[in-house]
Amino acid sequence: MDSNSQTEINENSYQVPGFIRNSSSRRSISSIQSKTSGGHSIREVSFGELGSKPIRHGSRGADSEGFSASYKEINDDDARLIYINDPERTNEKFEFAGNSIRTGKYSVLTFLPRNLFEQFHRVAYIYFLVIAILNQLPQLAVFGRGASILPLAFVLLVTAIKDAYEDYRRHRSDKIENSRLAWVLVNEQFQQIRWKEIRVGEIIKVSANETLPCDMVLLSTSETTGVAYVQTTNLDGESNLKTRYAKQETQMKNPENEKISGLIKCEKPNRNIYGFQANMDIDGKRVSLGPSNIILRGCELKNTEWAIGVAVFAGRETKAMLNNSGAPSKRSQLETRMNREIIFLSIFLVALCVIVSVCHGVWLRNHKDELDLMQFYRKKDYSESDVENYNYYGWGMEIFFVFLMSVIVFQIMIPISLYISMELVRVGQAFFMIRDNRMYDEASNSRFQCRALNINEDLGQIKYIFSDKTGTLTENKMEFQCASIGGKDYSNAKDSNEDGQTGGGPVLRPKMKVKIDRGLLNISINKHTSEGRYVNDFFIALAACNTIVPLTVDTPDPAVKLIDYQGESPDEQALVYAAAVYGYMLIERTSGHIVIDIQGERQRFDVLGLHEFDSDRKRMSVILGCPDKTVKVFVKGADTSMFSVIDRSLNLNMLKATEDHLHAYSSKGLRTLVVGMRELSPSEFEQWHSSYESASTALMGRAALSESRKQHRTSSQLIGRIRDRRQIAARRPGGNRVFKKGGANQVALIIDGTSLVYILDTDLEEQLFDLSSKCNVVLCCRVAPLQKAGIVALIKNRTDDMTLAIGDGANDVSMIQMADVGIGISGQEGRQAVMASDFAMGQFRFLVPLLLVHGHWNYQRMSYMILYNFYRNAVFVLVLFWYVLFTSFTLTTAITDWSSVLYSVIYTSVPTIVIGVLDKDLSRTSLLKHPQLYGAGQRQESYNGKLFWVTMLDTLWQSIAAFFVPLLAYWGSDIDGSSLGDLWTLAAVIMVNIHLAMDVIRWYRITHAAIWGSIVATFVCVMVIDVLPFLPGYWAFFHIAGTGLFWLCLLGITIGALVPRFVVKVFIQYCRPDDIQIAREAEKFRNSRDPQDAQIEMNKFWILLGHD
Amino acid sequence: MSSGDGSSEPSSKISKISKKPRYSRFTQQELPACKPILTPGLVITILISLAIIFIPIGLSSISASENVVELVDRYDDVCIPSNSSNHDEKIGFIQDAATNKTCFRTWIVPKKMNHPIFVYYQLDNFYQNHRRYVKSRSDHQLWSPKSERATKLCEPEAQNDDDKPIVPCGLIAWSLFNDTYRFSRNDDAIEINKKDIAWGSDRTKKFGSDVYPKNFQTRGLIGGAKLNESIPLSQQEDLIVWMRTAALPSFRKLYGRIETDLEANDKITIEIQNNYNTYSFNGRKKLVISTTTWIGGKNDFLGRMYMTVGGTSLFFAIAFSILFVIKPR
Repeated sequence: MDSNSQTEINENSYQVPGFIRNSSSRRSISSIQSKTSGGHSIREVSFGELGSKPIRHGSRGADSEGFSASYKEINDDDARLIYINDPERTNEKFEFAGNSIRTGKYSVLTFLPRNLFEQFHRVAYIYFLVIAILNQLPQLAVFGRGASILPLAFVLLVTAIKDAYEDYRRHRSDKIENSRLAWVLVNEQFQQIRWKEIRVGEIIKVSANETLPCDMVLLSTSETTGVAYVQTTNLDGESNLKTRYAKQETQMKNPENEKISGLIKCEKPNRNIYGFQANMDIDGKRVSLGPSNIILRGCELKNTEWAIGVAVFAGRETKAMLNNSGAPSKRSQLETRMNREIIFLSIFLVALCVIVSVCHGVWLRNHKDELDLMQFYRKKDYSESDVENYNYYGWGMEIFFVFLMSVIVFQIMIPISLYISMELVRVGQAFFMIRDNRMYDEASNSRFQCRALNINEDLGQIKYIFSDKTGTLTENKMEFQCASIGGKDYSNAKDSNEDGQTGGGPVLRPKMKVKIDRGLLNISINKHTSEGRYVNDFFIALAACNTIVPLTVDTPDPAVKLIDYQGESPDEQALVYAAAVYGYMLIERTSGHIVIDIQGERQRFDVLGLHEFDSDRKRMSVILGCPDKTVKVFVKGADTSMFSVIDRSLNLNMLKATEDHLHAYSSKGLRTLVVGMRELSPSEFEQWHSSYESASTALMGRAALSESRKQHRTSSQLIGRIRDRRQIAARRPGGNRVFKKGGANQVALIIDGTSLVYILDTDLEEQLFDLSSKCNVVLCCRVAPLQKAGIVALIKNRTDDMTLAIGDGANDVSMIQMADVGIGISGQEGRQAVMASDFAMGQFRFLVPLLLVHGHWNYQRMSYMILYNFYRNAVFVLVLFWYVLFTSFTLTTAITDWSSVLYSVIYTSVPTIVIGVLDKDLSRTSLLKHPQLYGAGQRQESYNGKLFWVTMLDTLWQSIAAFFVPLLAYWGSDIDGSSLGDLWTLAAVIMVNIHLAMDVIRWYRITHAAIWGSIVATFVCVMVIDVLPFLPGYWAFFHIAGTGLFWLCLLGITIGALVPRFVVKVFIQYCRPDDIQIAREAEKFRNSRDPQDAQIEMNKFWILLGHD
Repeated sequence: MSSGDGSSEPSSKISKISKKPRYSRFTQQELPACKPILTPGLVITILISLAIIFIPIGLSSISASENVVELVDRYDDVCIPSNSSNHDEKIGFIQDAATNKTCFRTWIVPKKMNHPIFVYYQLDNFYQNHRRYVKSRSDHQLWSPKSERATKLCEPEAQNDDDKPIVPCGLIAWSLFNDTYRFSRNDDAIEINKKDIAWGSDRTKKFGSDVYPKNFQTRGLIGGAKLNESIPLSQQEDLIVWMRTAALPSFRKLYGRIETDLEANDKITIEIQNNYNTYSFNGRKKLVISTTTWIGGKNDFLGRMYMTVGGTSLFFAIAFSILFVIKPR
């Protein structure tokens, strides 16, 4: 299916004859038939008389009980009471939310205060604000008013405009949504009212293809059986049809003719879109309601003419709206480390301020006697008759003011603009990831999605990968491959297709083609042999024991109709298609019966009971009343759960043969399932039925229900088993190479879920961690969703290493949320994983370009940008600081306040953002060819404490060069402050931009434009500032730029400041090149110096196999 | 999901507009780029060319600086009565308006000085860049007579005792330097041209031609020079020069130009009116005459710095060459 060469090699290496190449996954079926105990078998469905009494194997009982105890008991306090068709009474006691929704955050009045309030949640902005406010105090007015407020005002304004626009769009869509029309029962008649006027308790009628206005419990539908089909695309992205049922008790009622009244008692609104628990008192009967009786807001009604229901949750209490919150925000590791360095910078800042204020204090002390009259100080004001201090608040206060003023002057030591730059860079990086053609999945027509915007760079540092197997490593495309029925192996499926024949009417043909085993087909047609009976039961089980809904689709040829099986599970679809091809075509399914076309003869089976599959029981069962009046229970489930309920007294040979086949299929990498059947005697059925009834009506107390299931299950018998399993290795193209490289010393650890129960949350965790860190691959099988998260937490809590979890199903959600980076695969198992993920993509194999290419780039770019921003701001602050030492510590700035403010906004911001988005250290090809290059991120080579301190040393040197060269060149000359300030400004800007240019790896035109453009822009800005006559620096630039000394200073500063850096850089690149450097040279010169000798510390690869 | 076997196709009545990202070299990050690599050749070329550029510039700056003839004379410590040795006596002398503060200095010109020769006064330890001082001015008032009351920042020299605005207000103007110099050679006066010593831009755009000094230095405490109230500010060039505050605590200000050449061994006599009080804060006053070249006044630093950078580059060029030869990759 995919043309990746890696895949082909893996597949070929398996050499399994039963494989047919063009399928992405394979399915085998085996079946044993064992004898039923009842002895009431009539017709071909009797399987012989081996044992007369089933032996109970109740080993699974404990599990079921444990599980059922986890069901929430809802007492009256937590319940929500809804009086059907009586919204007044429903709403009088409790104010249930109306159905109008409000996703907009602000109104016109509240916009300004609320938006500002939200924006100031960022610490950075508060810092900004405090500084701006300090600057407004007259004693502290270092900068002009405009200059001090402008940057903050600008950022606030841009964000506010963006928020306002988004909110406007939300308001608009809310308005459209709220004024949609729905049919609601008012005064015994259905009337159209607007959605926002719907109240809980009202009865609503929805027609085909309409969207549900609120969450409602189905009362009746156009189908006599009470079934309704819904599409939940809007809710969870799944496009297949789901079946929902109206209860028989209400199905026959027509609310327009007879008044329905009843009471629904249900749980409080919650986010779980797959769960609902309630019961309904109607006509004196108590009926229990479950997830299959409720349809949710946002779903569309399909293939059902109409449906009537009662609103139970409305507006913001609907499950759709409760699920509307975004992914939880995470913070990247790089950012966390960066914050540590920011603390260092704060310490520097405070240190600088302390130095300045202490020196100032000393200066004031030393000149104490002279201050009164000194021309440049003039402490005393003689203008009034009594002499008083002029603008002098005492020694202590002066020092304190100088301290605060120095905080204002040196404020950009904390690179506030960095936070904004980082956001912009991440947006740019996300743009490139989303637009990457190589991460576009043709099959699902989906691009890569960045759901979390602030952890892009974490993708370059992943050390542990936790992967779900089902549907993630493997794709969830199922195909029936082979079967073992009654101990006989049928695994010679050939690629041919049988016309599905039905008697009379148009020819029905299954939509999906399935390979057929001729032998099995012949037996299934001839069902009067003992083999044939097994096969017959086997296929009835396949066709019946599922929740598939058959749909008939017209084709261009009027005589042929396609039958399409819609269902939530791809397993079931594959099995039903298989049954259809072998002549057991599921034609119709309602809540009460199913119709199966058996070899051209339509037979109707009554559905007497149905237990849907759940991950705890790992089984599904259905009780059918057959046309021959027998009652049979068909069970289908994972082998472990099935073997525990098999009647072991039966044909042991058959059991043994089946197990052998099972192992054979498994070892081929197929997924397997086991099906079983047992006939129930009327008394057994009665007993079961009564216990089922009582259990299911007990509100939420599902323990009893589970009890009855258990009882029932223990006596069921095995009729066969199906297996279906996909290859793991084959589905891991490329990724294989990345994570498993390392050659012969591969160590793998395999652990199963039952063992994990004993390990997690005990002292053994530590040992498991030690052991697993010695393994390259750890496989955990049969793990429950929470255990998956537990394993992730096990690693995450013990190391600083980055963890990544990837999965596609709802069972992976907890793991995805637990890991540092969560990736969802938008596969067939729904969109729950995607909704919880930070990134989502179409296929597992995109993980390779995502991590190796984009992750690497993101990490390199972001780390460089952070370091550079630290340097850039610190160098400027230091230049200001050195000058302060020559102004008797009074925080005069030669550089104009406008330049101080514009420095990190205009003069130097664009190039770092452009380079943060665009620069590539290595090409995609090199990164994919040498996966060990990924190690740079894992080892934090581009951002670490050492680099930070080295950068700071460089910063110190560069600031000294930038400051002291002009100082000494102009010492004792008639230079004025503004001119020298302009020189310092330009020197700093040119220096930091050339510094950046030295580190650029790929020069695009836009890079040139950004770097040289910034320098030009700085010149322009300085000129503009100097042509304003009311500023003290009027025309200063033009005077100083007319002298040769000025230009020689600029040149000398730039080169003098950067030569040490250049020399060190060359030396390191030549003598101690890192992998990236070597690969870069190899890329350019294509010579022999491939980084083959580089050592790779490779990731741990965890595969978490979920339930089967 | 699948398109191959169509297992889920009927559900897709949703139109299949492909979301495939449109290919462009930009979005795929495949833009053409230049990837410079620091090869040994390139490194040596860069370092050598730096040396080639820097060393000659350094040499020529040094020689230019050598060619500058500069005479500096500190006079604050000699132009006081020899009996006033302690601090208070010096201050008492300088603050006494009645005493004669004339002082004569004699210089021998060491080398020929071609005109124009710039006359500067130099103040050391005078923080013209002190925050309190720098802010104490009103640019609006200097430019326009209408803004003469815009004296908010000029305290404590904003208004006189009758609440009339002082023009020009503020500490900078108040502390205007007021020593004067007269040069003579062999009893012939050497004229000092005090025209155009201030920036033209300041004279035309910053100091108004219709703004006249008012109420200036009329109060008890005199900070420095007085201004002729009949001359507009735009022509008060000493004030304009003074008000372009210096960047550093040790600075020179242009006093005037000598438009004749001074020959070697010329004996110059300077008559100094030592009025300005630097004694109260231990400041120093110097008189400087200097010629200029293309790098300005006498300044060895720049040349030395260029020589150092060029020399360092050359050193590393050689060092790297040796490294590349000894330890080839």
